Amino acid sequence: MALAVALGTTSTLQAAQQRLTQEQALRLAFPEPARIERMTAFLSQADLERAREIAGPGVEIRSSVITYYLGRRGGEILGAAYFDRHRVRTLDEVLMIVVGPDDRIKHIEVLRFAEPPEYRPPEGWLRQLQDRALDDELSLKGAIVNLTGATLTSQAVVQAARRVLALHRVIAPFAR
Amino acid sequence: MLNRSQLSWSLLALSLNFGYASAQEPQGQDTTELARLRAQIEAITRELEELRLGREVVARADSSILGFGPAASKVYRGQEGVSLGGYGEVLYENFSASRQDGQLSGRTDQLDALRAIVYVGYKFNDRLIFNSEIEFEHAHTGQGGVVEMEFAYVDYRISPQFGLRAGLLLLPLGILNEQHEPPTFFGARRTDVETAIIPSTWRENGIGVFGSLGDLSYRAYLVNGFDAVGGGSSRAGGFSASGLRGGRQSGARAIAEDFALALRADYTGVLGLTLGAGTYYGEAGQGRTLPAGFGSGTLDAPTYIWELHALYQARGLDLRALYVRAGVGDVAALNAARGLTGSASIGERLEGWYLQAGYDILRGTRSAHQLAPFVRYEKLNTQARVPAGFTADPANDQRIVTLGLSWKPIFQVALKADYQIRRNQARTAVNQFNAAISYLF
Repeated sequence: MALAVALGTTSTLQAAQQRLTQEQALRLAFPEPARIERMTAFLSQADLERAREIAGPGVEIRSSVITYYLGRRGGEILGAAYFDRHRVRTLDEVLMIVVGPDDRIKHIEVLRFAEPPEYRPPEGWLRQLQDRALDDELSLKGAIVNLTGATLTSQAVVQAARRVLALHRVIAPFAR
Repeated sequence: MLNRSQLSWSLLALSLNFGYASAQEPQGQDTTELARLRAQIEAITRELEELRLGREVVARADSSILGFGPAASKVYRGQEGVSLGGYGEVLYENFSASRQDGQLSGRTDQLDALRAIVYVGYKFNDRLIFNSEIEFEHAHTGQGGVVEMEFAYVDYRISPQFGLRAGLLLLPLGILNEQHEPPTFFGARRTDVETAIIPSTWRENGIGVFGSLGDLSYRAYLVNGFDAVGGGSSRAGGFSASGLRGGRQSGARAIAEDFALALRADYTGVLGLTLGAGTYYGEAGQGRTLPAGFGSGTLDAPTYIWELHALYQARGLDLRALYVRAGVGDVAALNAARGLTGSASIGERLEGWYLQAGYDILRGTRSAHQLAPFVRYEKLNTQARVPAGFTADPANDQRIVTLGLSWKPIFQVALKADYQIRRNQARTAVNQFNAAISYLF
């Protein structure tokens, strides 16, 4: 419910401001009175290799120190938010990807997009990633439709989504 | 501030200490030590997160940087600066020894470092952006190669709905003119329709507006018009029987006696589908006087182009369609000014269209590679109508079937090969095999 409320407000806020801080993005995903806990997972080499295998070819996973944010309201877990910075063409994009208790993507927010604005992923396009799990359909060769004229953006976002879901599966934050 | 390497070593050391401490029963001094180590790990992971995501992302919205107040610190939170990109292609063309009518073609095969492009942009802030494309064609200026600006403009983006753009602009018509990076389209060569009638790459100096209203994006530019006559102080060659391409002024000391308006709108409300239209209208005489025998006054040469285009890219499919029609006025006078007679007349009406379909046959695999056979049918006539007293050259009434294959190990690199079956009404067309290696970054 909290996520649904957040999704409803995203478009207005995103239109109003092209940049978000981490704090602002987290509050979009987990509005008050939800509690947000900062967590860090330290992955072993075996964990990293497993995450790479799950993520699939072409998806880079380098770091073994993964920080994520759990949203809670009372005893209920609302989701886990991950922040992913990656290269689009020559400049970077920062995304927040929120994974729900069912291990599916619930929310994607663009915090920074340094490439020209016409290549920024529009909200309507990002919506097709909502409720996606980590499977072969989460791919430009699967169910995700390319962003015409901005294929590098499409690729970068889909790879980030696969990276986050793979790390999420290895970290298993809701089981901790 | 620690760099990444230092951070990694610190984390490792702390993790080992932490692991040792965790294995013991924390009592007294140990509990204090454990709390201290936890605090240190927390601090280091925060620092690491800030390094990864950028200080401007992690910083609290109301925080200050470098001692400035929150508002004055804004500039330090930006991701401004220079951006570099580019694309290029090397093209091999192998021509059939014989023409459509069986006569010798006389065409020479060619292997050309056709294009190498560098994009340079500078983001002053979120609203003000400079972008440019510098093109090197045919590798060597001593052997017919050129160095050109393909575009160079400044955007002032007031909101997602509305922005201003000024400089050397790509005309917003068709599919290829604005998106001409070779890995993004099928075929080793650009389509003939979007070379002769929409003269890609077509750019002129001007000013305009752009933006998006929901699923509808638009661009409207006021630019210097074509130069239909060319010659003299003009860098343009002028219109010809083979199309409008020679009328481009390309931003080079463009004669600005006549201006033109170019408009475009695209609808992208259905995922994967783009439906759009573009139009151009302006006079192309550029202030020249009418040639002898055509009265007094200036040569107007009003020129219009309108086009409809559709793309569908989803689930491995890539479908494209485009229709374009162009018209030129005062053609008899233009022919006289250019010294064109008989079947060399400029077309009063030019018309062309194409349909194209491709499919990634590796779609069902987990491979990152794409392997897409495609087929394209093109029909164009650059002299669909000529003025009384002139004749159309049947060689300009063309049909082209292109059968090809595109292999992309990654999206940014494409190896393309195709065979073009060319036909024209004069039966002088020459089939050709093309192959190209192309890249973008």
